[in-house]
Amino acid sequence: MNGYGKYFGKKIGWYLVTFLFAVVLNFALPRMMPGDPVAGIAAQTTQGVTNTAAAEKIYKEYAEKFGVDKPVYVQFLKWAGNALRGDLGVSFSQYPRPVADILKSSMGWTLCLQLPAILIGWLLGNMLGAIAAYVKKGFDKIILPVFLFISNIPAFGMAVILLFIFSLRLGWFPSSGGYGYDLIPNFSWTFIRSVVAHYQLPFWSIVLTTIGAQAIGMRSMAIYELNADYVKYSRFLGIHDRKIVRYVFRNAMLPQITGLAMSLGTMMGGALVSEIVFSYPGIGTTMMAAIKGQDYPLLSACTLIITLMVLVANLVVEILYGLIDPRIKASQMD
Amino acid sequence: MNTIRQVFRSAKFVTGFVIFIAIILLTILFPLFITYDPLDVVGNGNFYPPGTYISQKDTIKANPYELRIALKQSNVGDSLKTDELDKIKEWLTQYGGMGKSEVQDADAESLIVMWTDKYNPSKRFRGMLASEQKYYKRLNQKLTELLTDKDIIIAEQDENNELKEKSKVKSSDFVNLKEISNKRTLVLGTDNFGRDVLRELVSATTTSLRIGLIAGVVATAIGLTLGLLAGYLGGFIDDLILFITNLFTVIPSFVLLILISYSVGQKQRGVGLVALIIGITSWTWTTRAVRSQVISLRNRDHVNLSKLSGHSSFKIIMTDILPYIASYVVMAFILQVSSGILSEAQLSMLGLGPATTSTATLGLMMNWAMLYSAHLNGSWWAYFPVLFMIAMISFSLNLMNTGLDQVFNPQLRD
Amino acid sequence: METYMLEVQDLRTKYVTRFRENVYAVDGVSLKIKEGKSIGIAGESGCGKSTLALSLMGYYFPPLHYISGDIIIDGKNISKLKPDTIRKRILGKEIAYIPQAAMNALNPTQKIIRFIEDVIHAHHPDATKKDIYDIACERFEILGLPRSVLEKHAVELSGGMKQRTVIAISTILSPKVLIADEPSSALDVTSQKMVIKMLRELMEKEYIKVMIFITHELPLLYNVTDDILVMYAGQIVESGTAKQMVFDPLHPYSKGLMGSIIVPEEGVRDHQLTAIPGTPPSLKNPPKGCRFAPRCPYAAPVCSSMEVPDIELPNGRHYRCLMSERKIREV
Repeated sequence: MNGYGKYFGKKIGWYLVTFLFAVVLNFALPRMMPGDPVAGIAAQTTQGVTNTAAAEKIYKEYAEKFGVDKPVYVQFLKWAGNALRGDLGVSFSQYPRPVADILKSSMGWTLCLQLPAILIGWLLGNMLGAIAAYVKKGFDKIILPVFLFISNIPAFGMAVILLFIFSLRLGWFPSSGGYGYDLIPNFSWTFIRSVVAHYQLPFWSIVLTTIGAQAIGMRSMAIYELNADYVKYSRFLGIHDRKIVRYVFRNAMLPQITGLAMSLGTMMGGALVSEIVFSYPGIGTTMMAAIKGQDYPLLSACTLIITLMVLVANLVVEILYGLIDPRIKASQMD
Repeated sequence: MNTIRQVFRSAKFVTGFVIFIAIILLTILFPLFITYDPLDVVGNGNFYPPGTYISQKDTIKANPYELRIALKQSNVGDSLKTDELDKIKEWLTQYGGMGKSEVQDADAESLIVMWTDKYNPSKRFRGMLASEQKYYKRLNQKLTELLTDKDIIIAEQDENNELKEKSKVKSSDFVNLKEISNKRTLVLGTDNFGRDVLRELVSATTTSLRIGLIAGVVATAIGLTLGLLAGYLGGFIDDLILFITNLFTVIPSFVLLILISYSVGQKQRGVGLVALIIGITSWTWTTRAVRSQVISLRNRDHVNLSKLSGHSSFKIIMTDILPYIASYVVMAFILQVSSGILSEAQLSMLGLGPATTSTATLGLMMNWAMLYSAHLNGSWWAYFPVLFMIAMISFSLNLMNTGLDQVFNPQLRD
Repeated sequence: METYMLEVQDLRTKYVTRFRENVYAVDGVSLKIKEGKSIGIAGESGCGKSTLALSLMGYYFPPLHYISGDIIIDGKNISKLKPDTIRKRILGKEIAYIPQAAMNALNPTQKIIRFIEDVIHAHHPDATKKDIYDIACERFEILGLPRSVLEKHAVELSGGMKQRTVIAISTILSPKVLIADEPSSALDVTSQKMVIKMLRELMEKEYIKVMIFITHELPLLYNVTDDILVMYAGQIVESGTAKQMVFDPLHPYSKGLMGSIIVPEEGVRDHQLTAIPGTPPSLKNPPKGCRFAPRCPYAAPVCSSMEVPDIELPNGRHYRCLMSERKIREV
């Protein structure tokens, strides 16, 4: 087996194990708390329900779902089996809508918002950081403190600031939702325009937050690389600065890619919360609704989906990384 | 000692340190001078804007001074409500023959000028409801009163329930602010519950710092212990700890945080517990850093010497390893504190923050502002100061961390 | 008049530290090398020998700064050229460098052949990839390196192989001057021997005209170079043929340096093992008079007040000490 195959196989195996572990945690955590989970959660759920028949039904559903009389592993297998088939239960707060149905739409919104935003923010941030490291004087002195400060504004904070300036004060963009509240999703021109307009503020708030942190990381990586021995050596062989800069940025980029994989979870967490500020119809907002509505099945499905998305994204990043960095291949050879 | 001096020579560290100390001093000194309860409900409505509030009764009772100052006309505009201004705009476009664009961006003052120019109270307008005709008449009345310099008569009820003139307030009458005893300056206005935002902010900062500190201590303790064990003992224990650490690095801690916070239930979630939960979900960085440092230290000469001299593992760790990784641990701790504060804010935004009515946290303040749509109705004072505080805390902590990093990893110096 | 391939006259350079202090690491160094000859420069770490290596290239960037002096390669004075010109015309082509830590001298994410392409393109922009590949193959084969190295990344090579690859790359354009800064210090004995054999081969095949070999191991130079210079605190304190320097050092510091060698190589006279007491002086404020005086066992009061001239003996040796040749031999 060649180096790449071995590397990819290992990675995929490892992520499968991690996912399994995450699923177990997702199942176990709420059940590890003291007290009868069915009574506890069902009582919470039925708090606002005046219809006794509905409350009864919810309770029964819960008891059946939890299968408290059966051994734990049977409960788990049943739960996991259902989840695998896409049956994530029925939402309490939006009864009788199935959880999978709610998530299907919000997942699309979140993916379309966060994936491009994080990627573009990452790219722009790295470019700026590289420039800051290379130009240094002046540019670095102004840009760096600004980015240092910006990177410390949490994603939801950036969301609020953009909302205040560009929606409330300037009125350039709508303040909330994924599309005009008076529209029904379709493929008309008006609808698409409305979606694009609503997309801007959440998108840029994520991009800006990502840029700050990435720029700083890239800058120090690039400075570190600029002082590396191979840079000096290449200079002494008369190689043009432009070429050397290319070496440096390529090499500085590599740890940034691993960094992306490592911090993807945190970045998504922040971005999910900034969805709430804009009432963007993604998973973040759904999750808040689930928490508010004491909707356990919906919340647990949300966390499961987030975990899955982070893991898949991580896996993709690591596989790409393996293809780019020759050191990975070399390390698998021996 | 020498290292400490070196650390304080780093401009970044010093800047961060000064800001952080300033914030700490604020949380300590402020309550000493402003002693009322931070969660006192001051205002009887939501989101009073920042400013000095003085008792209206006091101004009437206070001794008037006649000043020869030209009064600003814009006061008139201020005393009109927005819906009244909208109504004026509506009338001007429909009956006053003004263009929409002319009216749309005009300020209150010029609107009033247009209004007095066009409106004729004795004229009836076709197609207008009678109630609306009356409304405009009343509005005109109000405007005329505001515009004319009529004295305001202060009357008192006598025993026969009849109003008797007591005094007149002329438009040239002023009161001296110093003579008014009932006043309150709300530098940052009030929040949705009518609490003083500034006072609340200081108390929330204290609580959030405490949360960050507890979370940081917990995370560092767990991370340090696991990292030391894994790095020093090696072998199977290292493999096991590394495996667990990798698991928890990849599974987003955000997700764990939500699951655990939700599972403990609304009632149990106090400030301490939330801090604890944040701590036990964020130790992985410290573990990794400590482990790799310990591994590189493990085979150094001074450690081997200690081993040969028969020192116990505990003693070796305490005297030959800990001092060498102290800088990393401190740096990780600083980051944990800052991320702990941020985690609390995010949890609270989701509605999983500390369930407490007795203290505020920075996250809860954001959450309340959000729930009461402060971000949509322009009450900037309810969330901008909070955001600024969060950003300043994490800015100062990160600066300190970068400063330390540059001192201890000199190749990063620029 | 004799012609020299490399001539350096009174070269002075300095480092500027983070705290804006000047460190005069090369303080008035002169040397001359004829075509086909090699010289070794020896000294303790911190004596300025690595800085001298960098300074000799004529290309300065912070924190290293040029102060004064001339560097003349084959009759051409390069110390007055613009940095860009030096980079384009001199570095890699006329004068080449082998760095101290070859371990990290190669870009870890680049294939060796790609790097060679960049090196050659920097001086011959029109060279085609195929030409370059052929040149590289030929040179690698002559120098006893497997052709397969070209298609590898630096991380896939062993330490010794990496060092030899670096040497091959540095000399691929057949520069007139090769400066090797401790090329073998970090290697095991076998690899060291291979590196030295390779350097000799480069000289024999005339791929390089002169070589400067820098090391802290004086006896190593005996087998490698024709002449040896001993450097102390930014200055050359003694120079002579390898044989003279190893078997008959004059300057008290050279004597000490020979004495502090732990494992003398075969053929090198068995010096008594004695470490030189004290540490080299700080080059921020070099001591007045003889710089070695504070550590010198034979120092007289006059040593630390009077500037020491460079004394040339009839047999061509130079040394920098107030004592006469006879007196030195007596003590």
